[in-house]
Amino acid sequence: MIIRRLLTTTLLCAFAVLMVAPVFWLFVTAILPADDRFALPPHWIPTSFDFSPFSRVSELIPLGRMAWNSVKVTSLITVGATLTSVLAAYAFARLEFRGREFFFLLFLSGLMIPPQITVIPVFLLMRELQLVDTHASVYLPGMVNALGIFLLRQYFLSIPRDLDEAARIDGAGHLTILRRVILPLGAPAISALAIYLFQMYWNDFFWPNVFLSSPEKLTLPLGLASLQGAQGEGQAAVVFAAITLVVAPLLLIFLVFQRTLVDSIASSGLKD
Amino acid sequence: MSEVAVTPSVAKRPTGERVAPYLFLSPALVLFLIFVLGPMVGTLVLSLFNWDLLGEPSFAGGENYSKLVSDETLRKALGNTFEFTFWSIVLHVGLGLLLALGVTRKMWRVTRYFLRTAYFFPFLISWAATALIWKYAYDPAFGVFTYYGDKIGLPGGVLVDAHWAMPALILVDLWHTIGFSFVVILAGLQAIPEHLYEAALLDGANAWRRFWHVTLPMLSPTLFFVTVISFIGAFQIFEPMYLMTRGGPDNATISVVQYLYETAFRNFQVGYASAIALLVFAIVLLATLVQFRLRRRWVHE
Repeated sequence: MIIRRLLTTTLLCAFAVLMVAPVFWLFVTAILPADDRFALPPHWIPTSFDFSPFSRVSELIPLGRMAWNSVKVTSLITVGATLTSVLAAYAFARLEFRGREFFFLLFLSGLMIPPQITVIPVFLLMRELQLVDTHASVYLPGMVNALGIFLLRQYFLSIPRDLDEAARIDGAGHLTILRRVILPLGAPAISALAIYLFQMYWNDFFWPNVFLSSPEKLTLPLGLASLQGAQGEGQAAVVFAAITLVVAPLLLIFLVFQRTLVDSIASSGLKD
Repeated sequence: MSEVAVTPSVAKRPTGERVAPYLFLSPALVLFLIFVLGPMVGTLVLSLFNWDLLGEPSFAGGENYSKLVSDETLRKALGNTFEFTFWSIVLHVGLGLLLALGVTRKMWRVTRYFLRTAYFFPFLISWAATALIWKYAYDPAFGVFTYYGDKIGLPGGVLVDAHWAMPALILVDLWHTIGFSFVVILAGLQAIPEHLYEAALLDGANAWRRFWHVTLPMLSPTLFFVTVISFIGAFQIFEPMYLMTRGGPDNATISVVQYLYETAFRNFQVGYASAIALLVFAIVLLATLVQFRLRRRWVHE
């Protein structure tokens, strides 16, 4: 029994080490001195350091600018999509109106329509509006999310109606009920949705890649992808430093908020 | 249904009350019509035209659709995409289940924390960073993967090898997204009530029978969900091909969505690209419907 348990744990740990290895290699290579950088066999434990590639990142891409673009676009999408989802979900979960079922099914059909299918007409539309190569072409289409409406409606339905009936008797309007009852009680679902959206759009590549082209407008994923051209070992060190600068803060945030993040992503897989 | 009695019927309510629901709905609805439903119809219409984005569109009738049948590159792209999707589902569900089962066993809390973190974190890294890291890891000259791969008989430069390029991309995808199936399956496992295992234990069921008669049936909705999500995600794969191999060597790794992208935004065949988009949509829809039909037989409710 003990031997089997030990064996399983060893196998699980070995797999974990393999999972970590590529990123560990990235971090180590970024700080190794030039001579050891791409030595074979690879140096896994650095004994001396060279941080100069980090200061040369700005020669390749404007990383700070790109980080700001990512923050801007992703925040606008997260706030926008969460807001439109909360409002629509409130209508679907709490209000009676003609066409409710119809509109709900309409949004549900959106779950089956991925961005890859709609990107060409949206591109033509943006071209008509002269919005190609602007951040608006990326964040405007992201501000509605069918999955968000669906998930929040399910959650709002589980909030007892007595509470809003009570508020209603006290003379509260819809906005007050939304603010005083639905928002506080729906907070777990709303924040899970926001985290999910932020995480997804922060890393999005397909859509911005179609719409953005000016170097000063690129988001971080596009900026990193543009480093593809920088080959050769001399450049490689700077590229490694750039990826490290992008990935390391993300992993730090993850280690701090691990529970919340994992739960919000895992909960998208549970039925109730 | 008691609240129906309290709420006055729709028609009798004051105007403000009748308009309010539509006001709440309108921001989402307007954006949805402009950016999802409208473009969906737009794709349908565009697929009937030939257009290079510059000149006048000309009506093409079913020409773009007959091209779908005869296009060799598209056939190659479909084949690649199905291959990628098959392995993606098998590996994500299989390995995700094994890892989740492993992590739910009794172990030191620190070990469990380490394992969970290690399996999940690549999911948070963007495809762009992932593709870049792995492209270097696969580098024939100094790549860390190439160095250790050589010791087990793998060729150098897997990405330029027609035989190994696809498996190499499947591996990167597995590394990048196994964390998602892992945490979803783990959450599913932890939701199985303990008393079912206790009852099975009282009945003298051994570990294998407990897995087969308790874990698997109770987990089937979760496994079904992971399968559907893996299919939808994998069939629309774009980034690793686009960023790591450009679909090469010799179209050995080109995916359907990548071909769609190249057709629309590099070759400027907007009509034909729209027809490809509809084909992708039809396949994903069909496969999802088939999976939901199978669900009735396989999933324990």
